[in-house]
Amino acid sequence: MAATDDRAAQPSSQAPASVTSGTSAAVPSRPVRSRAVTTALVILALLALGAGLYFGLRSQHPRSADVLFAVSMPDTNGQMHRLDEWRGKVVVVNFWATWCAPCREEMPQFVQAQQDLGGRGLQFVGIAVDQPRPVRDYAEKMNLNYPALIGGAGAIDLSRTFGNTAMALPFTIVIDRAGNIAHTQLGVLPRAKLDSITAKLF
Amino acid sequence: MVWAPICSGLQRRPPEHEQVPRQRPALRTAGSAWLAVVAVVLASIPARAEGPDLLPNERAFAFAARGAAPQAIDVRFTVARGYYLYRDKLKFSVEGNAIAADPLLPPGENKHDEFFGDSVTYRGTVLVRLALRDAMPGRPITVVAESQGCADVGVCYPPQRQRVAVTLPSSGAPPTAFVPAVTPARGWFH
Repeated sequence: MAATDDRAAQPSSQAPASVTSGTSAAVPSRPVRSRAVTTALVILALLALGAGLYFGLRSQHPRSADVLFAVSMPDTNGQMHRLDEWRGKVVVVNFWATWCAPCREEMPQFVQAQQDLGGRGLQFVGIAVDQPRPVRDYAEKMNLNYPALIGGAGAIDLSRTFGNTAMALPFTIVIDRAGNIAHTQLGVLPRAKLDSITAKLF
Repeated sequence: MVWAPICSGLQRRPPEHEQVPRQRPALRTAGSAWLAVVAVVLASIPARAEGPDLLPNERAFAFAARGAAPQAIDVRFTVARGYYLYRDKLKFSVEGNAIAADPLLPPGENKHDEFFGDSVTYRGTVLVRLALRDAMPGRPITVVAESQGCADVGVCYPPQRQRVAVTLPSSGAPPTAFVPAVTPARGWFH
């Protein structure tokens, strides 16, 4: 900073001299500063590019759901399911737990959405980061109309692979008919948002 | 620091512009290097889901403990602003000793949830004294805490277990300093 300020204080009549002296041998005041300015601008531009790419990439998820489709888990009756049995539908995988109040808050909407949109090819799949018994009790009480798979504590790590960096619940992944991830959501996914995401996928 | 030269430079730039092209190849190289660095950094960031920015479990609910007396440990949760712990999910145990009686938990605040019923929650600092069965002056002891909490933005964290090794003070000595729980190592891609 101090050096820059000193140069700025020099009389402007020195500037033409530096231009005529020409080559890189002389290190005139203005070009040094303009180089600093250009470098600063380039760095700023790169930071902006980085930020743009970062926010661009994190809102789009052009990733495949193959890893998720390859997972097998038991349902509340102990019957095993491989997630790719629903491949080809618009699959909404919801990571939840009975100990998670916001999860329970959004599930009645999911039951309604399954009823409304199941005929068009929407399939909810719940993965509970939980024990079988509380999940079974809750699924019965809720009249859950989609599978409640028991993922146990390890299921939270599975969700992390798909962008749940905070490893919190609820966490929801929307998969299109081709098996690509269309959307991932940490926190409650309101019905209006679900509808706007899935509308493009049917 | 960065803004001053940029602003002054923008004001009186034009006359020296002929000088700039000579700098460009070097700048382009530097630019490419930066671009490569940015690309590598970006590639290593896991794609993040849409949603609020959140602290990891162990930082939202930071656990620490100290040796309070030859026969007592103080445990402490520091709950980050915007987060809360469930009182009935708190559990403590010690290794190589035993907790003499159910610890006296502070009152907390009542929370009613339409879908979850009534519960008691803690915010801020939660301090609990654990009375031990055996006096172990000057000896190390490990305390394990189980907890479960949520963030006000509408997410909850799985139950977590945090552990701290403390040394119990000798008889008549003051309590030791609080020791924070060590975050379990977690790989970047784990």
